[in-house]
Amino acid sequence: MSQIITLEQLKSALDEKLSQGCRVAAPVLDGEFASFKEITKADQGSYEPRVAMQNSIKEFFFPKHETLFTFVRQGQDVVLTDAPDFEVDQIVVGARPCDAAALPVLDPLFGWDYQDRFFQQRRAKTTVVSFACVKSDAHCFCTAVGGSPENTSGSDALLFDLGDGSFEVRVLTDKGKALFEGKTTDSDKTGQSCDAPTVDFEVDKIADWIRANFASPLWEKISLRCVGCGACAFVCPTCHCFDMVDEGSYNKGKKVKNWDSCQEAMFTLHASGHNPRGTQGKRQRQRLSHKFVTYPDKFKFYLCTGCGSCSRSCGQMFGVRPTLEALDKEGVKAGQ
Amino acid sequence: MENELRNAIRELFANQGVGVAIGYGRVGVDGAVGAVFVTSPDDVDQLVWNNECRQNLAVHLTRPEVKALGKIAIVCKPCDARAVVVLANEAQIKREDLVVVGVVCEGIRNVKPDGSTSDKDYPKCETCVQHVPANVDVVIGETSKGEALDAKNAEVATTAGHQAKLAKLRAMSAEERFQYWRDEFSRCVRCYACRQSCPLCYCNRCVADKNRPARIDTSASLKGNFAWNILRAFHLAGRCVGCGACASACPAGIELDLLNLTLANAAKEHFGFVAGTEVGAAPLIGTYDRDDKEEFIR
Amino acid sequence: MSTETKAPDAFEPKIVAFVCNWCTYLGADLAGTNRLEYPANVRIIRLPCTGRIDFNLIVKAFEIGADAVLVSGCHPGDCHYTAGNFHARRRWKLFRELLDTVGVDLNRVYFSWISAAEGAKFQSLVTEIVEKTKAMGPYQEYKSIVAES
Repeated sequence: MSQIITLEQLKSALDEKLSQGCRVAAPVLDGEFASFKEITKADQGSYEPRVAMQNSIKEFFFPKHETLFTFVRQGQDVVLTDAPDFEVDQIVVGARPCDAAALPVLDPLFGWDYQDRFFQQRRAKTTVVSFACVKSDAHCFCTAVGGSPENTSGSDALLFDLGDGSFEVRVLTDKGKALFEGKTTDSDKTGQSCDAPTVDFEVDKIADWIRANFASPLWEKISLRCVGCGACAFVCPTCHCFDMVDEGSYNKGKKVKNWDSCQEAMFTLHASGHNPRGTQGKRQRQRLSHKFVTYPDKFKFYLCTGCGSCSRSCGQMFGVRPTLEALDKEGVKAGQ
Repeated sequence: MENELRNAIRELFANQGVGVAIGYGRVGVDGAVGAVFVTSPDDVDQLVWNNECRQNLAVHLTRPEVKALGKIAIVCKPCDARAVVVLANEAQIKREDLVVVGVVCEGIRNVKPDGSTSDKDYPKCETCVQHVPANVDVVIGETSKGEALDAKNAEVATTAGHQAKLAKLRAMSAEERFQYWRDEFSRCVRCYACRQSCPLCYCNRCVADKNRPARIDTSASLKGNFAWNILRAFHLAGRCVGCGACASACPAGIELDLLNLTLANAAKEHFGFVAGTEVGAAPLIGTYDRDDKEEFIR
Repeated sequence: MSTETKAPDAFEPKIVAFVCNWCTYLGADLAGTNRLEYPANVRIIRLPCTGRIDFNLIVKAFEIGADAVLVSGCHPGDCHYTAGNFHARRRWKLFRELLDTVGVDLNRVYFSWISAAEGAKFQSLVTEIVEKTKAMGPYQEYKSIVAES
């Protein structure tokens, strides 16, 4: 016996939550582009499983810019005010399984030595409703990093598009239960996801190669076409580097936390002018090492869910999958 | 044409002491076309030429990693070749140290949000008139679609752009335009893909990266994004050649080239200036004329 | 300068004037010494030359709450640095077009040439800008993107 919900019922459930003051984010279509956005009416969203998204759901947990505290100068004093706590309930609907899977990957990072209340409060307040994939494309490689088109990791409920204007609902957590309880009907229909994307490389072997080949000239060679923007990192559901800057004037302003990317030359530029990662090859090595060696060594997760957003959005046709394939072909399999 | 291109590059390796040839190859996912850096005549067969050759390769000319590979030969579409002219005019490259292999181009296919190739041309290619590259060392291919652009027929160059879209935008009220950009810029994540993919954004340190004092907000907030996008566009005033690399690289799909096209149109209309069409031309904003228009000044 | 006599909730626009040190600043000074009255809504920022006035300062002025901006310098031919205002003129001609496409209200951006002898011109232009801006109301659009940031 399965539980199903129609699209109309799903929308009215979201509208009900919106009317209760809940924040809802869903895929919104703009021409050919689909991106996750906050919506004010359920109708603004577009509810079908998608492969290509212009952003990931991470911005509802780790926004592209976020105020940490504000400051005001009062006479001889400076008055600091902490940013308020995140107190509204939030629902992210329409996540890809590879988007949702990034959340458990990021949990240990934001709660390791320093407890990041900004991330943790959003995490606690948010219900993630994912759609199982109905198709994959050449950029997808979730299978290589332990995922699948119906990966449940990080989701509170997983919906399967039945193709008839309804979804099979598989509730995974209490938060998911709270959202769907009483909204679904019994059915004997069950949904199915697409086949898992195929890959012909093994991430573990590439990780071993990366460990052993810090100084390989291959890094420079494969990275030549990368122009060093942050697009891959900013569409990535797992990339989490940030910069903290002051904005405002002498008299009042705020400290903000903004997304940053290790692919930009400024990222490691020292005040002396020295840059330990002075070339794009070194910066790509950092990106790949962090994703497949240092992060798993520390937190047991690959810092990659295989969503393929990086290569889909790269203007230079680069990204994690092409890099892994190049390392596999020219490093691992060539025995270099 | 592909063979003609490969032979020409082989010839350059043999006779002109070229250390690296920057061209297009099937390097991305599913054979997507991107830049390849051929450092040996044995690898020349990696080079391809077709209507998916989207990137402006001139962006690599000023990068230290690429300059380290020796004398450069570069494959340029007609719009890209204009960027090489501007780079040389602005003393960023020594033109005599470079071999520019121009390819005849009849339009490049647009890219879809999922990274694959669309069956439609780039908006800017739909109205493009510059099919034969000018100011290059070798021309590969032929076309019946028009002649090379030089300073003489430069007045047609800025029709290469999606003028219709811009005209529609300019016909709206200021409030509607502001709202349009507000929606667009709300998606900007400040990844600087526009800047990094632009051959003419070559500053070692961009003003957006300066923090003593910070010239503009680095936050991807509406305030910061308006300031950034105005700044980026205006620093290209009289310099942008309309290749569209910025818009094509934008992960948020913002049509940034509409801003650049505005300035290219203005440069042409008010000063008769078209960037990258004249070797040795002085930069538009670095010069002045005593009789420049000033009807807007009280 | 006049004292602002106003109803408590009347809209008093903030006008930022970027002026050059050698002509317009002295023109404004002359207006003062001649007791020519002009509204106190204008905040004058003195810079060496209009050639120095970065376009980004206009954006910045709107960011910090300006309802209109004036950029003013020496008449053509009078520049203390020979050609700063010629460079500025060309730059503003292009920059206005960009602002127009972006949807910034060009009725809130003014350019003028005001010499050291033209105290009266400074008075009348600033008065006119203040009156027109009052009629248009606060620059809500730019203020709203700042408020949301």
